[in-house]
Amino acid sequence: MTHIERRSTDILILGSGGAGLLAALHAKSANPELRVTVAVKGLLGKSGCTRMVQGGYNVALAAGDSAERHFMDTLDGGKWLNDQDLAWTLVTEAQTRIRELENRWGCFFDRNPDGTIHQKAFAGQTFDRTVHKGDLTGIEIINRLAEQVWARGIERLEEHRAIALIRSADGARISGVLLLDIRRGGFVFVQAKAVLLGTGGGPTMYKYHTPSGDKSCDGMAMALRAGLELRDMEMVQFHPTGVLAGPGTRMTGTIIEEGLRGAGGYLLDGSGQRFMHNYDPRGERATRDIVSRSMEREIQAGRVNAAGGLWLEMKHLGPEKVAKMFKGMVERCADMGFDLAGDRVPVVPTAHYMMGGVVFRADGSTALPGLFAAGEDTGGVHGANRLGGNGVANSTVFGGLAGDAMARFVPAEGELAPPDEAALDAAMGAALAPFGRRPQPLGPLRDALAALMWDKAGILRDAAGLAEARSGLDALEAELHAAGVADGMRGFNLSWADWLNLESLILISRAIVAAAEARQESRGAHWREDFPHTQDDAAGLHHTLVTLEEGQVRLSWREVAFTRLRPGQSLLTPQAAE
Amino acid sequence: METVPKGEKAQDTLKVRVWRGDAAGGEFREYAVPARENQTVLDVVTQIQREQEPDLAYRFACRVGMCGSCAMEVNGRARWTCRTHVKRVAAPGEALEIRPLANLPVIRDLATDMAPFFDKWARAGGTFQPKDAPDGAVPAEFSVVPPESKQRREADAGIECIGCGVCYASCDIVAWNPDYLGPAAMNRAWTLVNDVRDGARRERLEAVSGDAGCHSCHSTQSCTERCPKNLDPSSAIAGLKRTLFWDSLWGRLR
Repeated sequence: MTHIERRSTDILILGSGGAGLLAALHAKSANPELRVTVAVKGLLGKSGCTRMVQGGYNVALAAGDSAERHFMDTLDGGKWLNDQDLAWTLVTEAQTRIRELENRWGCFFDRNPDGTIHQKAFAGQTFDRTVHKGDLTGIEIINRLAEQVWARGIERLEEHRAIALIRSADGARISGVLLLDIRRGGFVFVQAKAVLLGTGGGPTMYKYHTPSGDKSCDGMAMALRAGLELRDMEMVQFHPTGVLAGPGTRMTGTIIEEGLRGAGGYLLDGSGQRFMHNYDPRGERATRDIVSRSMEREIQAGRVNAAGGLWLEMKHLGPEKVAKMFKGMVERCADMGFDLAGDRVPVVPTAHYMMGGVVFRADGSTALPGLFAAGEDTGGVHGANRLGGNGVANSTVFGGLAGDAMARFVPAEGELAPPDEAALDAAMGAALAPFGRRPQPLGPLRDALAALMWDKAGILRDAAGLAEARSGLDALEAELHAAGVADGMRGFNLSWADWLNLESLILISRAIVAAAEARQESRGAHWREDFPHTQDDAAGLHHTLVTLEEGQVRLSWREVAFTRLRPGQSLLTPQAAE
Repeated sequence: METVPKGEKAQDTLKVRVWRGDAAGGEFREYAVPARENQTVLDVVTQIQREQEPDLAYRFACRVGMCGSCAMEVNGRARWTCRTHVKRVAAPGEALEIRPLANLPVIRDLATDMAPFFDKWARAGGTFQPKDAPDGAVPAEFSVVPPESKQRREADAGIECIGCGVCYASCDIVAWNPDYLGPAAMNRAWTLVNDVRDGARRERLEAVSGDAGCHSCHSTQSCTERCPKNLDPSSAIAGLKRTLFWDSLWGRLR
């Protein structure tokens, strides 16, 4: 019998990004009597991706802009695959949340010269509506939220990694979450009346990726194993400019910002020639998906530099001007050994964000009573593609709403239900399994997964490649389940963490591949070389659903409910839409 | 023991001394890591954990200088490891020496417990308190604060602190007096004192006025010298001292 520490709380929040921290603050403010506990894989406020937001926060504030306009931009970007009620909640609630972030929690956003809030332009939007703090908006938001959480009697379980969502003995609701106390290397079961899944997504299974290095899709993997549906998992967003610093460095894949192309930066092939105008009249300023695909075509055609990538060049704008306009990026590149202002930086497209995730309602509730979800763990808000600036709006809007909903749910319907002890034992057994096997380095497995997903299920997809990805993932999963980790020091054991990360990543890769194989069209971020056209929306649009049944990934479809508008319709009057 | 993997020339290998141990004590051990053109100190630590010492403990998250999880002492000086190129800290042929951050309890190997650092942030009053809404109501409108106003510029000076702990680990006063609030916490307090939207000026100034607060600072300036963001906590602490002096002169504090 494995030793397990048992504790309980009213509300257990997994994750400390925008979703988790807003949920904690809202729940605690709504009812200070409630015990609220935040469990996080790293340190509170330091893990995950909200913190890494550079761009900013989309919200309609200015005269001439409107929630309707923001809504239409979000649906156009999402290619009408969005859940329209979620998208409407996003654009309207963002107007409340941004005021709350600034006026209540202390975020100090940038101002116009007259002292009013500044909103900048961002790709794919018909109005300049992105609120920001320089190019480090995420740090400002998460720092301010974290310091509010520290000061409010909210319990912290830092360096506690969630392993499994555990249902009640009768299976009717969630009972709690099995966690691994990373520092001790022991298990903790936290029973809770309500649980928020807010661990974030992050497509880190791809060879080149932007998200925080501790991300591994644990939330979505736990949700699948707990019997929940994931929607639109084929929709993985690739960002055009990841740094290509070579193998063996964690710098590779990290993002250098969109604004560089917006300001007039050039993308060059290996021989130093610009190429974007061969693909799109907007050149380097085309949308993220088009630029990423064009770059991938150049790379596949072999027009690459010595590092195997392309170049980003800014110096024609004047090195001094570039150094002033993009101070943070220039410093970051300098630390990596590249001169962004005066020379070229090797770049490659890089996996950035997952539009798909757990099916949920606007109040955060899911199909499992007591389990709530918000942020990148969820799907439906962004449809087939996310607008830059809608990510942090998503996590903070729905995190706050879920916090409110949990504070209502706990007194009305919450209970500390006894857990399914067999499921608890099975989850601990699965997590401990690698200690019973012969240790082997996990590096080759990780590299094989990254290459497989990049080459066969990446920016340009087709049936043959996806089939190879599917069988390759089966083989990698078998290999992982035969791989051991050296036993001994279990506290702060990063090899064990690596094994657990890979298990989540392989499962979610299987979900991505199953959905990508099924969608035989190109839409938003999902591009099929063998089906390069977008099907007629009017013929009925469906989103993919992935579930896990007896270890097998199952795919089904559900018709998109056009609850507010059908494709082609607009909330804007013809005059306003111009 | 130094070992050079077969088939690699000596100059292709970095010599690395890594502190291994826990709260009870520890020692340096030596490793040989293949040298690469682009390589950060975090990459070196990662290589050792992945290829040589599976149970080496360290902490990192974002890998690009935004989260402040990966700071360690590198060749005697606290730094972010993710953004520190090996070439910048070790001349060719020179060894790297990596220890956990000073002034914080060690969990194991290179990972420290940062809880005291964040507890002090809270103790220094480093939490925004809206001026207009002590009852928790949210003002509907944004404050009008011109970016060129003196207060906004002073608030902005220190606002981008990411809480990495480099200043705290570099501070002699923290080493002498474990209760001392430290540079980051007081930098945050000073930022809020300058925030025209904040309503807790008096409580905050009281929080930093005691024995563990700003008057303990001897202005040795290691914090300012070592801040990876080029912030100036030393000036922030001086600002708090100055403000406390004038406030007490005018009787605005007890």
